[in-house]
Amino acid sequence: MALAIEARDLRRTYRTRTGWLNPRRVAIDAVRGVDLDVRRGELFGLLGPNGAGKTTTIKMLNTLLIPTSGTARVCGFDVVSQTREVRKRIGYVFGGDRGLYDRLSGLDNLRYFAELYGVPAARQKRRIAELLELVGLAGRERDRVEGYSRGMRQRLHIARGLLHEPEVLFLDEPSIGVDPVAARELRSTVAGLAATGTTVLLTTHYMAEAEELCDRIAVIAGGEIQALGTADELKHYAQGRRVLEVQAFGVTDAQVKGIDLLPGVREASVEVLGTSQVLTVQSDAAVDVQADVLRALDGVRLGRVTARQPTLEDAYVTIVNGVDRTPATVTA
Amino acid sequence: MRLLTVGGVIAYRALFNWATPSMFVGTLLVAPLFQLLFFAYLGRQLGVADDTFYIVGNAVLSATLACVFGGTIAIANERRWGTLGHVLLSPRSRTLIFLGRALPYAGNGLLIAVFTLTVGSLLLGLRIPASAVPGLAVTFAVGSLSCACFGLTLGALGLRFRDVWLISNVSLALMLLLTGVNVPAEHLPEWMRVVGGWLPITHAASAARLLVAGEGFGAALPSLWREALVGLVYAVVAAVLLTLFEAESRRRASLDTL
Ligand SMILES: Nc1ncnc2c1ncn2[C@@H]1O[C@H](COP(=O)(O)OP(=O)(O)O)[C@@H](O)[C@H]1O
Ligand SMILES: [Mg+2]
Repeated sequence: MALAIEARDLRRTYRTRTGWLNPRRVAIDAVRGVDLDVRRGELFGLLGPNGAGKTTTIKMLNTLLIPTSGTARVCGFDVVSQTREVRKRIGYVFGGDRGLYDRLSGLDNLRYFAELYGVPAARQKRRIAELLELVGLAGRERDRVEGYSRGMRQRLHIARGLLHEPEVLFLDEPSIGVDPVAARELRSTVAGLAATGTTVLLTTHYMAEAEELCDRIAVIAGGEIQALGTADELKHYAQGRRVLEVQAFGVTDAQVKGIDLLPGVREASVEVLGTSQVLTVQSDAAVDVQADVLRALDGVRLGRVTARQPTLEDAYVTIVNGVDRTPATVTA
Repeated sequence: MRLLTVGGVIAYRALFNWATPSMFVGTLLVAPLFQLLFFAYLGRQLGVADDTFYIVGNAVLSATLACVFGGTIAIANERRWGTLGHVLLSPRSRTLIFLGRALPYAGNGLLIAVFTLTVGSLLLGLRIPASAVPGLAVTFAVGSLSCACFGLTLGALGLRFRDVWLISNVSLALMLLLTGVNVPAEHLPEWMRVVGGWLPITHAASAARLLVAGEGFGAALPSLWREALVGLVYAVVAAVLLTLFEAESRRRASLDTL
């Protein structure tokens, strides 16, 4: 079966100049050799932390950026030389507030982009009505976008991306900054799209979103794909481990480093949750590190301590933590 | 064709800051009228030229604010809304997308010029021969269009360079000075006249003067062609800049496409 997206050794370096009197050139290797094969109709996830190179990868695939090297095809068309053919077949949605004409109504935004994206005049009215229904904006389409909530904007973004019935839809962190209820609706919309045969490439840094939606997930960090597979396959990265979670108040970075060096400990990370911290320690399943960890936390006020089986999130942390995250090289 | 017309009109509403009735009337209709009166009375005081000179000149000039800023806004404001990336993802012709956006502003300018001329003539008692009216309408239309194309060129620069509004402001002041609308061209040094010849409305203003003097459309035609040529040059420059900037942006991420 033909591939919807096919990328070979994609690379992208940004060159920027900083300083004026004493200019320094900075080269950032944002994407360093990405290979991707996304099948038609697949819902494919690109999961990675901020700055991993997700947006850069998408912008190369959707023709907005030319790769520094490597090649990519979308629906069989080259993204550098056959831009018109590619653009006719793709939709692009990204998270955030911007990217819409705030002074216009939602309806007029869609009308304008329908024109730009080449939807035949006779089809426009029906198509726009269908999409307003699909994303749940019917009834609000005549309001100006400046009065829309974040979630409504996001749904309008999606409607715009679908105007010309693209074969491939790029969704770049669509749920960023959207409240949990709206995010759930968004996920069901995306799942619905995939069910109708649209290929979706979704980027996100939310594990749960990727796990719930995606047929396959590529974990990207430092501009390289670190792991690729179904959610179940990725969980193997954390296999043979056990996880200890400690609720704490006031753990220092030095203490976390110390714990990371304890015998049997594979990963240690801290996340702030409200007023408390959650220290997550992955260790080899055969070793019980609880006593050592608690000793290292001597003097810190502690809350609940739980031991559990590893999840996809732990696998993700394992994969991403091993990556060098400094892609910039500076030359005078 | 729809992209040029329907698209242009929607983009006008999307991007034009003054598209509210009070801003429109105040900034675009009332202000130019006072400017006309200012120059006419100043002219009477100094005895440089008669009322007719100032009424016709300022009527042509009245369109420039809407057209130059309009043309700039029509492209450069993509930056403000963060919509440029989505526009550039269109598979359609950039020329149609962006040049279509100049049309509403040109229509706007035509309206303003007609209004300024009518009210200015009524207030100061200038009689315009009825036979000159169709020719004047064409002249205003051509002048406004070429002004809007000049604005598009600035707008294209505005995608790449943040401080383009400075150029828009300066060029409006230059148009006051160099296009012969308020200072008779023969009073200007040679180089200023040459520069004026490549600014929009200079030739439209001379065409309008000939028409109001009752010289007939045939006499005004050469000036009109020259005005159209100036406008065309700016339209082509705008299209070339847009093509260059888009290509450069794909290579070097130089535009705000997200
Ligand atoms: N236009 C740009 N100029 C310079 N550096 C950039 C530009 N865009 C992104 N980067 C850098 O490239 C890296 C990858 O960014 P990005 O692709 O946006 O990551 P992600 O979408 O995964 O958060 C980051 O280090 C970022 O700072
Ligand atoms: Mg991103």
